[in-house]
Amino acid sequence: MNVVTNNNIKCTEALAALRNVLDPEIGLNVVDLGLIYQIDFDEHGNKVYCRMTLTTQFCPMGEAITDGVRNALQNTFNDDTVEVDLTFDPSWDCEMISEEGQIFLNR
Amino acid sequence: MFASATNTTLKNTSYKVVFPFYLYAAISFLAATVFLLTSTTAFTGHYFHPHILAITHTMALGWGTMIILGASHQLVPVLIEAKLYSNILAYISFILAAIGIPLLVYGFYIFDMGWPAQWGGCFVVLAILSYLINIAISMAKSKNESIHAMFVFTATIWLFLTAILGLVQVYNFTELILPSGSLHYLTLHAHAGIIGWFLLLVMGVASRLIPMFLISKYSNGRLLRWIYALINSALLLFVVLFLYPGSEVLLFIPEITVFSAIGMFIYYCHCAYKQRIRKQVDEQVKLSLLSVSMLLLPVLLLIIVIVFLISSSVEKVNLILAYGFLIFFGWITAIILGMTFKTLPFIVWNKVYHHRSGLGKTPNPKDLFDSSIFKAMAIIYISGFIIFAAGILLSITILLKAGAVLLLLTAVLYNWNVLKVFMHKPKQL
Repeated sequence: MNVVTNNNIKCTEALAALRNVLDPEIGLNVVDLGLIYQIDFDEHGNKVYCRMTLTTQFCPMGEAITDGVRNALQNTFNDDTVEVDLTFDPSWDCEMISEEGQIFLNR
Repeated sequence: MFASATNTTLKNTSYKVVFPFYLYAAISFLAATVFLLTSTTAFTGHYFHPHILAITHTMALGWGTMIILGASHQLVPVLIEAKLYSNILAYISFILAAIGIPLLVYGFYIFDMGWPAQWGGCFVVLAILSYLINIAISMAKSKNESIHAMFVFTATIWLFLTAILGLVQVYNFTELILPSGSLHYLTLHAHAGIIGWFLLLVMGVASRLIPMFLISKYSNGRLLRWIYALINSALLLFVVLFLYPGSEVLLFIPEITVFSAIGMFIYYCHCAYKQRIRKQVDEQVKLSLLSVSMLLLPVLLLIIVIVFLISSSVEKVNLILAYGFLIFFGWITAIILGMTFKTLPFIVWNKVYHHRSGLGKTPNPKDLFDSSIFKAMAIIYISGFIIFAAGILLSITILLKAGAVLLLLTAVLYNWNVLKVFMHKPKQL
């Protein structure tokens, strides 16, 4: 699934950091799992906005995953304020898993 | 524009609510296997034996029900997509059950149906009532209708009815409340609990969790609604046949109805397995999937029991004993042994590492328990289960002893691994 962004260069940097955040149950990172919908950057306000979802609402590991995303982005963009927003519209679907993710799960 | 990640949709049931249930269940399993080893001779006689009643209630309430209550406080929010209404009611439920179960089991063990069993039974009923209230309000507050949640709610109603009937049976020993003796109602009490509570609950939760763990595209709400309707109709029909007895042949109707529902559930799990994206299936899920097929064993045995009942009007006590054993030490135990290590390590991992997520390498939840001990436990368990079941069917004490030793060893290894998960300390980053 393609991640919507207003800054392709910074988004690539953010996605690289987010590839270190794993769903603890599945063992796959949040990017290839298709949980990240949007990453926007506010150059003037020094803000990073991340819109993401979870594989299921009230996922018992949900807090750990969103904390992981926030921590990874904060570590990458030290001087910026990071805001992580959670949405279930659209809700996550297996089709959102990337090709790399499918290969990982098919091993 | 967006809902905040810190809003309530992410606040899960606290681990502090769930942990005591898991710990209590683990100790109960150990206690039940100790009783099993010290009471093997009871398994060569009639099933209405004080020690067998004590073992059955330790397994049904202390082991099966306690772990299900614990896990469901965490999983019900996933099923209904809403918060658990009250952590306090969950604590109350635990405390009441934790006091009631040993009193009840003690009463059965010494066969004193006086105050220990009566008070124990009252505490258990109140524990179930507080769980029922918690689930009912949580569901009422949820905006989503879910067939899985309906399974859980209806199962809890059946559990409550089972416990009420059980309590009345206990009082009926000392003062006649019911038209017949307590033993007469044992079949009704047992099947309301086994099919109404355990079967409905396990199917409701497993039909959500198995596709989730396998990352399967499969979903079939219509099939699940059929399964739900068949099981409840079968149970209601069984109640009618119990209250207004006719020919024993009629018992085949609810039996076949449940059998069909189980067949459909196995088909559902099979489809979820076939359409899975995640090819590697871990040992815990394998053991849980095995337990689904283990469901067929008691059902087939029950058909034989009914055939004997029709052909000779004789109760084959060893077959009935084996039937109960296949349910509590077979199907229910297999699913718990598997699912404990699919849920508990994640709850502990979440407690220990969720603040560190994304900041560096953390262990995987599956690293929190010893997988080689898990594998050994699974092998010893299956061997012990088969040997003990053979011991009951053939009435051979040495087989019962050998099977009981292996099941005790299973409980020791299970407790070892559960404690290892509980005692996990965070690794330095």
